[in-house]
Amino acid sequence: MSVLADIVEANEKYRDFVRQQVDRARSDAGFGNELVDRWRKIREAIPTGKTPTGLSLPRHALPNTDEPGAVAQYIFGQGLPGEFPFLNAAYHEMYLEPSDGQQRRAEEPTRLFAGLGLPEDTNARFKYLTGQQRSARLSTAFDGPTLYGLDSDADGVLGKIGEGGVAVDTVDDMAVLYDGFDLSSDNVSVSMTINGPAPAILAMFIAAAKRRFGPGVVAKLRGTIQADILKEVQAQNEVLFPLEASLRFLTDMVEWTTANMPRWYPISISGYHIAEAGATPVQQAAYTLSNGFTYVELFKQRGMDVNRFGPRLSFFLDCGLDVEYLALARVCRKIWAIGMRDVFKADESSQRFKLHTQTSGRSLVAQEFQNNLTRTAIELMVAYINATNSCHSNSADEAFTTPGEQYVRLASHAQAILLEESGLFKHTMNLLGASPGMEALERAVEAAVLEEFREIDRLGGVLAAVETRYQRSQIQAAAHEYERQIFDGRRPIIGLNRYAKGSQPAQVKTVRTSPAKQKRQAQRVRDFKHRHRKESAAALEKLSKVVQEGGNVFEELIQTVEHCTLGQITERLHELVGHYRPTI
Amino acid sequence: MKMHDRPIRLLTAVPICDGHDSAISTINLELIRHGVEVIYLGYHRGADDIARAAVQEDVRAVGISSYNGGHVEFFTQVRRRLDARGGSDIGLFGGGGGTITQADAAIMQKRGVDRIFFAGTPLDEIVAFIKKSYSVRAKANKAGKAEPAERQLARRLSAVAEKSSGSRSNGRHRPQLIIGITGPGGAGKTTLIDELVLRFLKSDPDSRIAILSHDPSIVGSGALLGDRAAMFYSQNDRVFMRSLSSAGQAGGLAPQSVQCLKILQDGKDDASEFDVILVETVGIGQEAVPFDRKLVDKTVLVMSPDYGSRLQLQKIAMLDVADVVVVNKSDLAAARAASNEIQRRVAGNHRGQRVISTVAKRHGDPGVDELFAVLNDSAKSPAEATGS
Repeated sequence: MSVLADIVEANEKYRDFVRQQVDRARSDAGFGNELVDRWRKIREAIPTGKTPTGLSLPRHALPNTDEPGAVAQYIFGQGLPGEFPFLNAAYHEMYLEPSDGQQRRAEEPTRLFAGLGLPEDTNARFKYLTGQQRSARLSTAFDGPTLYGLDSDADGVLGKIGEGGVAVDTVDDMAVLYDGFDLSSDNVSVSMTINGPAPAILAMFIAAAKRRFGPGVVAKLRGTIQADILKEVQAQNEVLFPLEASLRFLTDMVEWTTANMPRWYPISISGYHIAEAGATPVQQAAYTLSNGFTYVELFKQRGMDVNRFGPRLSFFLDCGLDVEYLALARVCRKIWAIGMRDVFKADESSQRFKLHTQTSGRSLVAQEFQNNLTRTAIELMVAYINATNSCHSNSADEAFTTPGEQYVRLASHAQAILLEESGLFKHTMNLLGASPGMEALERAVEAAVLEEFREIDRLGGVLAAVETRYQRSQIQAAAHEYERQIFDGRRPIIGLNRYAKGSQPAQVKTVRTSPAKQKRQAQRVRDFKHRHRKESAAALEKLSKVVQEGGNVFEELIQTVEHCTLGQITERLHELVGHYRPTI
Repeated sequence: MKMHDRPIRLLTAVPICDGHDSAISTINLELIRHGVEVIYLGYHRGADDIARAAVQEDVRAVGISSYNGGHVEFFTQVRRRLDARGGSDIGLFGGGGGTITQADAAIMQKRGVDRIFFAGTPLDEIVAFIKKSYSVRAKANKAGKAEPAERQLARRLSAVAEKSSGSRSNGRHRPQLIIGITGPGGAGKTTLIDELVLRFLKSDPDSRIAILSHDPSIVGSGALLGDRAAMFYSQNDRVFMRSLSSAGQAGGLAPQSVQCLKILQDGKDDASEFDVILVETVGIGQEAVPFDRKLVDKTVLVMSPDYGSRLQLQKIAMLDVADVVVVNKSDLAAARAASNEIQRRVAGNHRGQRVISTVAKRHGDPGVDELFAVLNDSAKSPAEATGS
């Protein structure tokens, strides 16, 4: 039996507990009255705000009832925004307009993913993007060679350098990438979407930041690195080392950042790539949550305190056009909170499911691609209805290219239109929570997610299920079904299999990294290797020693990156621990 | 669609630094449903690995699914490396959803790519294109130029595969060691072979290795030959691998296996002279005994600890025949008990059979080292290799 059985049991127990509270509120007048009293006080304490047309609205919407059973159902079954079990929201007011009359929030949830060309190109894109925003949230995409731990001068990667993300080979590249941003500031946070080579890349980031701001900066660094190896094995396929070794390197990193970087999120437990690979919304939720609980177990086995690392776990979900997405993150928050509180005895901060959402890349279509603006807008709205903590909106041209500035700008504006121009999320939290339709969806999604947990548990838990390639085959089966639905028309895609008459192929500019630039990056990494040729061998030997003697590999990597490239480090680690062997 | 005598053989892969395998998995399934034999190389594969595999497997064409950019360069590289390995007659096609533009496709076609499929192409259209373009073997167009030896070897194997008759005389030099590896599906045969290959390559820097790998298929339909996708060290210029589909034949081998093995033993030239030949069977049932004693020097039975009850163990015929029994996945809870049971089971044969516990997926596993040592020693002292 795996920890998932305990999670299911805890959720079932909690459901029974809610039912008992409802019954008791109805049958035990003392309890019922006490509850209703509390309810009225909560309601009275809710401030009101005014819409631009002068209408008064409460900042929290609560069910319009004083019936003790219904009150109990809401308080225990859903929780007020920011309260256990966090169905409605992880925090109290989220993106509401500040009530003190200030027009703008301190930090906006918009977080746009960028990465193209060489480090200086992405740096320029960051500057362009943050020119539109008040705080600098630098979300970084890496190119294929970097994601696979290869240097830009590796055999056969020419053509891939700077494509789909930025090329980073060395600590020097990292310094250029975030140049001009004050990494010690509260207003700057950095997110890095990389998994297999995450420890070496984060080590480069730390080393580069220390160079510029001194050693004191480490504790101030804010941001997230994805580093989710389990979802790589299940869906995205960017794994370098065998699972056991990958998990060890990850745990070393989490252990180090938990102790030294209190403001850093060392792992972003991601369903996004699971969904992009074809998973259904329920599979996405179930695999993401079960991976999350598995990490908690692993970190605890290392002897780490759940209340230290728990608050630094964050999640990343896809939001597509299927109706399940309306309730998906809501249900995830609840299952996570109950699991963390009742199975892992974690405190409130760890119970909060902190979520970044991205609109669905898979839903984007190349034919009549301007329709993607509408698709993304709908997904964006669904994501915010789910009270996501931050969100990335895709650019309409991403069906065929790294986004151009024009469409990045539109994607960024879509969020501003939703959050600033429209009144939907300004005045009242919980606009749709506790509606009959939402509750029906929540029940259906929750039951299906817990059933998936039972299935994975029957296979011996997440790690055992991965060995039998259970998640992969489930995701692949769902992907095939999705494709079949598109081909036979059961799943309408406008401009593709419906209303496609007169549909023209896209005529847009693609953003590509020129061969000259790619060669420049390859030359840069060759130069770095040459400059450090005297020190690199010893640095790699030191790293080997730590790997073999069971020390903290991440701590050593912060030294190694001073003299070694990503490719050199990857190659050495391959020699020591082998290669990840794909399961198809 | 007209049925052909032998199915069309294709190789499919996803380029280096690209893990997007969702589209290709769907296409693979669609192709085998339409009777195509698909050798799937997996994702994150370099142009040279793709070209080598295409030539060794003697496929009619290579299909590449690219979603991570750099496709113009990558397809061009594959084309060049195919040509360099004597595979100028091997077709090349692919797609990348919306990531490959019409303008890119035009350039790629100029550089020798037969066809690029765009987003929204019905799967039927892809299948129809393949049947139309690759049903007949293209003529090698470099007249006069001698084909590389590896290409010739691959063609000799195909001649057997296509005619399935005509015996050949043994060549001048018998390879030192032929190892037959068999066992139920999911026991980890492929991983074990790849790990053995790593050790053979390392132990002798000049050695050349051949692998004859078998995957199941049903007569008259296609097959997915996927062993290569899980292999890492076997993608090497010193390793020649050929995948065969069982074509419905029971017992673990294919109708042409014996002939193919003879050709691999032949050693006509440097490229077809091998020090070690590994024959991997399809996942076998309890009663199967795939290897004739004369066919291979050593037989290895690979088992996983979860074979069920001791009663099941009594029924496994290979336990009486195998020279070495490997209990793989010995990190599983049931492994020790399984190993003990198997030891007792084979002790009754009084043949000195070895039982070795391995965790093939673990890097540098001592169990695999032990297995390698046992096999390698038998190569050095063939006199005691029969072990009976």
